[in-house]
Amino acid sequence: MLKYLVRRLSATLLVITLVSMSVFIIFAYLPMDPARLTCGKACTPPIIEANRHRLGLDVPVQIQYGRFVKGLFVGREYGEGAAKFECPAPAFGYSFNKHECVATLIASAFPVTFSLAIGAFILWLLLGVSLGVLAAKRQGKWQDKASTVFVLVGISLPTFISGILILLLALKFNLINPIEMGRWVSPFTNPLGWAWNFIFPWITLALAFAATYTRFTRSNVIETSSEDYIRTARAKGLSEKVILRKHTLRAALAPIVTIAGLDFAGLLGGAIITENIFNLPGLGRLSIRAVLIDYDLPVILTTTLLAATFVVVMNLIVDILYAYIDPRVRVA
Amino acid sequence: MTSPFLEVKNLTVSFPTEDGLVRASNDISFTVARGETLAVVGESGSGKSVTSLAVMGLHNRRSAQISGEAILHLESGDVDTISAPEDVVRKLRGKSMAMIFQDPMSALHPYYTVGDQISEAWGLYNEGSKKDGIKRAIEMLELVGIPEAAKRVNEFPHQFSGGMRQRVMIGMALVNNPSLLIADEPTTALDVTVQSQILQLLRDMQKEFNMAVILITHDLGVVAEVADRVCVMYAGKIVEQAQIDDIYYVPDHPYTIGLLNSIPRVDQLDGRRLLAIPGQPPSLISLPTGCAFRARCSLSHLVPNNLCATKVPDLDEKLTGHFSRCHLTEAQLSKARTAPGDAL
Amino acid sequence: MSGTKMARGHFRRRLVASTAATALIAAGVLVGTASGASAKPVSGGTLYFITNAQQFDNVDPARVYTGRDIAFFNSYLYRNLVSYKPVKGAAGSSLVADLATNTGVPSNSAKVWKFTLRPGVAWEDGKAVTCADVKYGVSRPFAADVITNGPQYLVDALAIPKLADGSSAYKGPYKKTGQELFDKAVTCTGTTVTFKLNRSFADFNYALTYPAGAPVPAAKDKGDKYDLRPFSDGPYKIAAYKIGDEMHLVRNTKWSQKSDTVRTPYPDDIVVRFGLDENVRDQIMLDDSIPNTVNLDGLQPANLRTFFADPKRESQRLNVIDPYIRYQAANVSAGHLDCLDVRKAIFFAWNTQALIDLAGGTVFYGVPGDSPVKSVLGLDYAPTKGNIHDPAYKIAGNPDEAKKYLAAAKTSCPATYARVTDPTKGFTEDLPKTASQQKASVLIQAAMKAAGMTVNFNFIPSGVYYATLGDTTKQNDLSRAGWAADWANASTVIPPLFSTPSSNNYTQNTNDPAFAAFKAKSDAANAMTDRKAQAKAWQELSQYAMDQYWILNPIFGKGQEEWGSQVGGVYFWDPQGTFGFGQLYVKG
Repeated sequence: MLKYLVRRLSATLLVITLVSMSVFIIFAYLPMDPARLTCGKACTPPIIEANRHRLGLDVPVQIQYGRFVKGLFVGREYGEGAAKFECPAPAFGYSFNKHECVATLIASAFPVTFSLAIGAFILWLLLGVSLGVLAAKRQGKWQDKASTVFVLVGISLPTFISGILILLLALKFNLINPIEMGRWVSPFTNPLGWAWNFIFPWITLALAFAATYTRFTRSNVIETSSEDYIRTARAKGLSEKVILRKHTLRAALAPIVTIAGLDFAGLLGGAIITENIFNLPGLGRLSIRAVLIDYDLPVILTTTLLAATFVVVMNLIVDILYAYIDPRVRVA
Repeated sequence: MTSPFLEVKNLTVSFPTEDGLVRASNDISFTVARGETLAVVGESGSGKSVTSLAVMGLHNRRSAQISGEAILHLESGDVDTISAPEDVVRKLRGKSMAMIFQDPMSALHPYYTVGDQISEAWGLYNEGSKKDGIKRAIEMLELVGIPEAAKRVNEFPHQFSGGMRQRVMIGMALVNNPSLLIADEPTTALDVTVQSQILQLLRDMQKEFNMAVILITHDLGVVAEVADRVCVMYAGKIVEQAQIDDIYYVPDHPYTIGLLNSIPRVDQLDGRRLLAIPGQPPSLISLPTGCAFRARCSLSHLVPNNLCATKVPDLDEKLTGHFSRCHLTEAQLSKARTAPGDAL
Repeated sequence: MSGTKMARGHFRRRLVASTAATALIAAGVLVGTASGASAKPVSGGTLYFITNAQQFDNVDPARVYTGRDIAFFNSYLYRNLVSYKPVKGAAGSSLVADLATNTGVPSNSAKVWKFTLRPGVAWEDGKAVTCADVKYGVSRPFAADVITNGPQYLVDALAIPKLADGSSAYKGPYKKTGQELFDKAVTCTGTTVTFKLNRSFADFNYALTYPAGAPVPAAKDKGDKYDLRPFSDGPYKIAAYKIGDEMHLVRNTKWSQKSDTVRTPYPDDIVVRFGLDENVRDQIMLDDSIPNTVNLDGLQPANLRTFFADPKRESQRLNVIDPYIRYQAANVSAGHLDCLDVRKAIFFAWNTQALIDLAGGTVFYGVPGDSPVKSVLGLDYAPTKGNIHDPAYKIAGNPDEAKKYLAAAKTSCPATYARVTDPTKGFTEDLPKTASQQKASVLIQAAMKAAGMTVNFNFIPSGVYYATLGDTTKQNDLSRAGWAADWANASTVIPPLFSTPSSNNYTQNTNDPAFAAFKAKSDAANAMTDRKAQAKAWQELSQYAMDQYWILNPIFGKGQEEWGSQVGGVYFWDPQGTFGFGQLYVKG
């Protein structure tokens, strides 16, 4: 097991390294010049050069990368003379656009995205799985048909439409104050305020994701129900309730762990659309604005890396978890 | 013969499908007593499993149409598992009647240890902690001949060999000391060498628990080792029913004869070819008129007036305690018995 | 703000001259009406501002460069030596003494300017604002390594030598390279600060309306991070500024009304909420659900029409000629649109009507213009001859006239003619990659085709559009661009757009045979102290630029503003091209 873990962890590290290198290379070959972006009308060649130096883009890409890696471990200094300042390790860089060390930006954005992801995740799992089970158990009945409609709507309705609809409805019924919406409230100081802040984004995301899980659960439960071991359970005299809970669901939901883990990891990287609609200052909004508006390389790099890291690490967790759930794939 | 424990009367199971009604088992009647082993023999699709699942109440009552009776003579009184409420039948399962299945890999839950699965069955009808259940599971594993039972009780089904898994299944089925055990092709998925061990185990267990056993198999060879009586089924009907020796020595239906001829026998290694029965069993949706076996029967031309094609033969007691569903006379049949293959 | 930056691209500064505003009203172009400021202003309450943007582009006084942000921070946080008068209409463009006791005393042909500080002005920590603070503030724009963005007028005009690459020999207060040069150019005598300039600069005090000339206490300067928390000597101070969330301003208790003749702070709290989804933002305005709110962005087109058609909202909106022109810069360098006849052909073929209609119509978007200098600039604007006044000009395009010029181009510049008329080649226009510009490109294509020309498009992501074009090697034949004067003098239009090879000069006209004469005249105009003579020079240069068709089919743009029913004191502050923020109040 330890050996396996070490091997997987080093593979994970390798992937993350490759991703970070790719982002650097992609940026180095973009057809535009970030050094021109910040000075606007004031851009003269000397100012552009000063900017390039300030952004650390006046050296070859491999040196930029080296500085980045070094900064992760020992921190990084910016500026010269009296304007000198430091981003402490782990320094992911400094956003000259937001005037903050990227680590600080991430530290403030991540709790938002995590709150969004975890709530939506729980909600869609509950909703998706229970609807899926209901549909499977009432196969062909109205409950099943209703769930089919739900799945169709959920899958075909993109969050940028459902989110706006939910938001406008919530506004119409005065359920949220549009101007206060999305303001970060800590779950530790004000759990209710926190939850209320996230409830509509949770619903938006949950609707989008739950559909897949409903469909998946339904077909898995139906398939598992016809397994021989379910017949065995019945032959043992177990009640239908126990069979469903203990025997059918255990097997039917095991594969869901994989997709759920990856979906969750994907969300941790930031739910761009939902965060934007509900004005949530999370990673998704941070990264999309950095890409589309600011060309803020250190932010883009870090959010990309983070997203990749979430996915690879979650992959590992899912694999370990899956081995725990399904003894057949357990590693010797 | 002791009084029967299970009495099946006119049991008919059909499944409505888009193509029509599938008559999977048709007007089945038999009995089995404690200490007795009844073998139900037939090709796949002949209705043997359908019949036993109906007895166990394991058909989905919404998708299966079931009529007839399957009466368990319990100490607390008779219960008809066909008409009794679902809940009543469920509480008989595992306790009064138990069942083991063909493929012990797929029949055991892959995610739970064998100990968990046995102890779960035990806990259903016994007061006791999980620990007690595991203790009981170890006892059962020892009883069914699994070495190092105390260690293996914590293992998962995939860590066992096929034969060992079937032993686990048997142990699990017997954990509540049932009066009836239905073994549905218990050896089919196993290596030949393991098969007889399992059959031996079944026989031992039957003695140990004084159970009524229904052994479902397509293999008449298996039957010889363990059964007291035999029902031969074809196309959803019983075509012959008799004591084990009668079946072997005086098979009374051309289908049974055909089956026997297709078994390799050590006492007849005289160069005769093994004879397979030609053709396929009929569709259960549109059964032919007359005798269902007629199309594959090499003797039907002996029956006058094309009777085989027009009239369904009755299950007649042609010899004492020996029932057969055939228009042929006893004389015609005895001729066929002695000269199989080239007879007619 | 970032959103503004994306939507409005290169537009930086809004300004309308005092004389210009008179002209505006006389010409009847002011199409909106401000809410009556007749009601008595109320103190207290919270005034909200909402925007889709994540942050202010800059907050650091040395780096702020958009009209709206300048007006905002100038009204609330920092005081300049001089300010525009915070009133509606023409008077709004006149200068008033703010931190200084007068609007500046020029001498030596306006090469030396003196300002004396007002007594009793304090920082938010209670310390007095000193001449040294002003001097330090003025020194910061020289630090190109830290102070990016922001106007360069002080850097250009102060009497400090330039290096070979054109940058100043003084490198700002952080590196202190060349500090002694700066100390000679800007001197403090008691409370009087003296600026020595390298040329006659008659409207230097206008340049000081930029916060880049505002004081900064050296002890509070955090370099780049000063952009997050500038120190205040205005009526409010920053209680919180979190990018992507909000900026919260509270009263600066150390500020005294006695020391300030310009500001009348009414609300107790001022909150800017960032990042609102555009639909949410629009809905707030349409429903008036937060009535003490001012919209800092524009509404989306459909919502804009709804809002402006609603009689209930009549006193909550403005529709005005804004300070911007939008135009096509013709790249006249060799191998591009180096042929006047071809440029004329494009001009006449252009379907301005369709493009205006697409963008919101003449009511909301703008009207065809005839000069790089917008009519709102007053003194420096005169209707040009030719172009849209040519009898053959049609607002929806005149392909026949265009074909005449193409025919002429066939002999005058056969190579260019061959290229633009070749269906497999054609010329290429740079456009920001937005949905509306992609729609516009279809109209442009159709209009060019009608005249027998072929146009291709190079769509550049809108966020980096100007940054990409700034590298002239990446520029194609025609580039969509926009501009606004920095203050009421075409010295902030003609030189940056036409007579310097700067990153804002997309015409690349330096190799044009006429360039040398043009530049000489422009440089001379820039140094003139006779404002009328200067205005005449700008008018002639505008005419010349139009005659050369260096820019094609300019649009004089319009802008709209909206606010909630509980907001009072709203007026359009002409010189800043936005609200007079300092007079806004929340109705009781």
